[in-house]
Amino acid sequence: MKKILIVDDDPNIRDYLVSLLEDNGYATCTANDVQDGLRAAKEHKPDLITLDLEMPGEWGPRFYRQLSQDNELKNTPVIVISGQSGNDYAISKAVASLSKPFDRDELLSIIKENII
Amino acid sequence: MAENILLIEDSESHARALQLYLERSGVTVVVGRTLDEMMFKRRAKEFDILLINPFLNGQSICSHIKEAKQYNKLLQVIVLCLKKNLDQAMDEVGTHAINFLEIPVSSKALNLAIMHARKCISNEQRISIYSERLADLEHDRTLYHQLFNQVPCYISIQNQDLRLIGGNSLFQKDFGNAIGEYCYEIYKHRTSSCPTCPVMKTFSDGKSHSTEEVVTALSGQQYHVLTQTAPIFDDNGEITQVMEISTDITKIRQLQGHLSSLGLMLGSMSHGVKGMLTALDGGIYQLESGLKNNNPERIDNAFELIKQMADRIKKMVLEILYYAKSRKLEYKSVDVVKLVETVISTVSNLARKNCVQIEAEIPESLGEFDIDSNWLQSALINLAENAVEACKYDTVRTKSHLVKFILWEDEKKRVCLSIKDNGMGIAQETREKMFTLFFTSKGSQGTGLGLFIANHVVQQHGGNISVESTLGEGTTFKVCLPRKKHEDSLAPFTRMMVQI
Repeated sequence: MKKILIVDDDPNIRDYLVSLLEDNGYATCTANDVQDGLRAAKEHKPDLITLDLEMPGEWGPRFYRQLSQDNELKNTPVIVISGQSGNDYAISKAVASLSKPFDRDELLSIIKENII
Repeated sequence: MAENILLIEDSESHARALQLYLERSGVTVVVGRTLDEMMFKRRAKEFDILLINPFLNGQSICSHIKEAKQYNKLLQVIVLCLKKNLDQAMDEVGTHAINFLEIPVSSKALNLAIMHARKCISNEQRISIYSERLADLEHDRTLYHQLFNQVPCYISIQNQDLRLIGGNSLFQKDFGNAIGEYCYEIYKHRTSSCPTCPVMKTFSDGKSHSTEEVVTALSGQQYHVLTQTAPIFDDNGEITQVMEISTDITKIRQLQGHLSSLGLMLGSMSHGVKGMLTALDGGIYQLESGLKNNNPERIDNAFELIKQMADRIKKMVLEILYYAKSRKLEYKSVDVVKLVETVISTVSNLARKNCVQIEAEIPESLGEFDIDSNWLQSALINLAENAVEACKYDTVRTKSHLVKFILWEDEKKRVCLSIKDNGMGIAQETREKMFTLFFTSKGSQGTGLGLFIANHVVQQHGGNISVESTLGEGTTFKVCLPRKKHEDSLAPFTRMMVQI
């Protein structure tokens, strides 16, 4: 079973993504900030990561920079899901950027395309 | 000028001789021998000079001469008569004639009389032109004076020293009769001229200049004005005075401030709004899938989440609506105790969920007060919710949390409500900013509008909010409100807008 790491500070949105992804046959793990997310990534070696940009403390782009410095994790596809408009440029190597509130089917099809 | 002369004389030979004599000097002469025949009253306007013997066939027609003068004010009358009648003619015609000549008329006397008549005619014509012009001038003067006064701007005239030497009605109404005073003293209460004085620039280059200023009227009211100047030249083309026209643009500035802060607010809140909408989507998804899979636990959770999100979105939308529309309060007489009880019961659910106890010290009755219950109630609920949340976010979990409401009437007969919690307390820095727009200590949970609006609503009602707080020990909010409608109910909001 493919595993997806969800990084978002809003518990309601984390719950939503967990239910949605598990219902569609993925395993999930969650993190509520950047440091927590990096720890979880190292521990679970997820197949894909969904990342919020604006979180208390450090923001999403910092997570991505540190992730790409880790040889084991740097090829993990990242999908940005954030409330910021014009977020396409915040993490240019992300496989996709969705803005909240996002379209469920769009997210699922992007995951399908990018999870190997 | 060739005059038209009407000659009335009953002696045909005498008339003929006069006519010939006069026509030689180039004037037109019409001769009549009886008054009736000539009907000179009607034709009086056609002639410049009336040469008349007022004793036609021995009968006096002096009264008719006066009538003729009434028809033609410019008509010059020269009377001809026999020496014996001269005295009577003078008595009867008097000043209506300019000359009295004795028959037989000497040509010298006649020439002089005609010349005199000419002079009188030209003088009178000139006078009539002058008086027409004078009437026009007077009319224009009144018109321009009226224009000057009725212009809905402040207009003042200033000299080289920047002293006021004139002002229109609106200027005098709002800034007083300030003739002789310095412009900067009257408009801006300064002791020296403004650094960028458009009037001085106009004195030096003769062109129009403009600035934007904030001026203070006699009433203390401040106006944002757009000031434009124009030079006033004297007969030699020198600029001796400058006119300053100031247009009140306070409302436009307020609107701009309002719009820009609204834009700022929407921008700063969009993150929160998007989060809520996503969570709402999540709730709907979970409700849907819970129903499909018949999973009651998921359905319950989803329903709870949807309710929570709907509440938060509703609250935020109402706050935006309040802010977007500066509205008049709709006062109604409301029972004090009932209102406070509604407030308490509204937050008791939130308190129960967070294990916060509620206590209330409320008298049986405190009568009624005039308020807009919609807004005042939501302002008080906001304060009460803050108190519960201060307990909810308190990190000292061992404390048993309590929010206490006390309602009373103070010595000024005002209705006072204190809301005291033993939650986390508010730091000094936060306390200073807590009533300002967009300030929030709750991160994405807050809009930064709640306390701003609560404070504003209470101020609109003529009341005030005070805060006492110790970090780690708790906070007390005290709201005091007058019982009667506050007259100046709209002003505080506009004043606040300008400060943003």
